[in-house]
Order: sequence, then C-alpha cells, then structure tokens
Amino acid sequence: MDKTEIRVGGLGGQGVILCGMIIGKAASIYDGKHATLIQAFGPEARGSACSAQVTVAEEAIGYPYVTHPDVLIVMSPDAYTQFAPTLKPGGTLLYENELITPDDKLPQGTKALGIPATRFAEELGRRLVLNIVMTGFFAGVTELVSFEAVEKAVRDSVPRGTEDLNMRALRSGYDYGREVLAKGN
Amino acid sequence: MEAPVTLEGFPQHLTLRDGTKVVVRSVEATDSNALLQFYRSLGEADREFLTDDVTKPEWVQRFVRLVQLHEIVSLVAEHEGKVIGEATLYRTPHGWTAHVGELRVSTAPAFRRKGLGTVLAHELVRVATGLGLEKLIVQMVENQAAARRTFARLGFKEEAVLRGHVKDIHGIKRNLVIASNDVSHIWDAMEAMVADFSPTSG
Repeated sequence: MDKTEIRVGGLGGQGVILCGMIIGKAASIYDGKHATLIQAFGPEARGSACSAQVTVAEEAIGYPYVTHPDVLIVMSPDAYTQFAPTLKPGGTLLYENELITPDDKLPQGTKALGIPATRFAEELGRRLVLNIVMTGFFAGVTELVSFEAVEKAVRDSVPRGTEDLNMRALRSGYDYGREVLAKGN
Repeated sequence: MEAPVTLEGFPQHLTLRDGTKVVVRSVEATDSNALLQFYRSLGEADREFLTDDVTKPEWVQRFVRLVQLHEIVSLVAEHEGKVIGEATLYRTPHGWTAHVGELRVSTAPAFRRKGLGTVLAHELVRVATGLGLEKLIVQMVENQAAARRTFARLGFKEEAVLRGHVKDIHGIKRNLVIASNDVSHIWDAMEAMVADFSPTSG
C-alpha cells in the first residue's frame, strides 16, 4: 500500500496542528486520497511542545499513529531534538533553518531541506503565517499534495479576511521549495 | 527576500448601483498619464481635500514609483478604458505604526452616488487586511458627508476631530475628522487557530 507518514512538530502558537490539518485536508478532500490526523497538545496554549501525525495513503488507513515518519516537518529546536531520531532512514526532514541546525541525530540517508519560514512570514506582514509557509514548502518539496489542493485547503481553513496573506505565505513556501528541489537535483 | 505585494483577485469586473460596468485593478507603471488625466479632471473644490498637488507630472511619476517599490498599494477603477476612480493604501513598513494603514479614495464627479467610492474603499480594506494590517484610518474634512457615510458603512468609526485643522479654497478653517477601523479581530481569529491548544485534549 502506498502510504506516507508525516509528523509536524513545533511549539504551541506556531500553528503546528493547522499545518497538519491542511496537509490532510488537501490530500483527502481535494486530491482524493485518504488521510488521518492525530494531534498532541501540551498543557499551555503557547510555548508548549505540540505535534501532529498525518498519514496520507491511496487506500483506507487502518492505523493512524506515526512512529517513524517518512517526512518530518519541524519548526522548533525542541521538536527537532525530540523527533529527528524517529525519522525513517532515507526520510525527508523539512526544518525552519533560522531556528534549527541539523546535527548527527539524523538517521542515515536523510534528505534535510531548510527554509527561513519565520523570516518569510515576517516579511509578508505576519509572523503567525509561518506554518502556512512551511505547508507550502512541504507541498513544493514532496509533491505529495498538489498545489491546487493545498491552496483550496488553506483558503477553506483560515479565517475570513486572512486569505490573501495566507495565500501569499503558501506561495512563498511553495516557490522556495521548488527552487530548493531544482537546485538539489 | 523582499515580500512581493501581488494583489489577489484583480482585476475585478463590477457593476455599480446604476448598472455602470467598471474594472478595478492595481495601478501599473503605464498608468501615469491616465492618472494625471483623472486628477486634472477633478474640480478645484475636489482637489482641495487632497494632500498632494496631483495635477503635476512629477507627483504622478513619484506616485507610480512608490507603487512599484511596494511602498503604497493603489487601485484604479476604469470605465470604458478611462480612469474614473483611484484608491490608495499608505503604510509605514517599520516602526510603531507599522500595523496601521491609511486609505485615500478619489472618484470622478460623474460617477458619484453610484457606489464607486464604496467599491474602491471596500476592495482596499480587503487588500489592507490581506497585508496583515490591524488598524485602518481615513482622514476626512467635516463637510465630506458622502465620504463619511461610505466609511461608516465599512465599519469606520470617527475617532478624533482636529478642530480648524484644514483650510478650504476660500480660506475657511474646517475640522478634520479621523475615522478608524480596527480590523485586528480578523487576525485574532487566526491567532486562536494557530494556538495549538484544545481545552479538551491534553
């Protein structure tokens, strides 16, 4: 069965869960695949560790928990420290490269790709769209969900009035991802 | 990376209250002459409300340059290829008022009372919130009754009156009204969404 397991990790307030939810929504509702989402929150709204586990597959998913993800998206150093060793060998690490520096904790053959997502978000006008930049980066690098699907999922998920900025955030992450991929190949 | 200001959803083809078809789009580098013509077509009484001498080619060139540099965001309304209205968002990219944007809207006299000003102002508010601004302001002279109604309909509330702050073309001092619209609640909703917290999940 063609299945991809994803973990998104970061801090409360970075939009980790929304990132996972948008990926799952894009895959399931707009790309016609199957997806599951498991979310884990800390006790505080802000600053505590949180993560999302997303599974995307062509067929129905029997077990939604992710222990060794194929793709790990991390937005904070703590999330990197906690989850990097769990990445599947040969997996993909997508990280916020102004907050995180990958080290030797990464499993063999990891493809590590970074993006200054916080800076991009700040330059666009709002730091809180960092997660949408990361979502675009994910779509651009992995091609696991189509841009059209993730665009619809973002538009459908974010509050009214914030769509334009979120779309620009998505596009900036996606374009950067395509660039990084083109340079790497 | 410089954040590009690409305006989503333009050009827009809209119909005014009397059925007049207009196109609202962002200002382009080639619009200098059309803008100059538009502003020169306004009467002196209309231009007295503007803060710049918009009839000078130097002003238009500077204006279009600022649009290109993304320092201001400007929309024009066109009817049959002619500019009939213009709306601009001014903001300071850094500092203590970086979250505030100022709106200025001008319309051709022949297209007033048809909803053109409302259309332009509404679109500019949408653009401004899309840029992440939290508070929008507009300055109006006390006797600009139509403008005051238009912005009130869009949620602007009169916040300050500067007495005798402006002089009209007859030298009469008039009060300047500053109205504002706090659009930060839009971003509060986004902030709540990315809080990554559920009171029912631990």
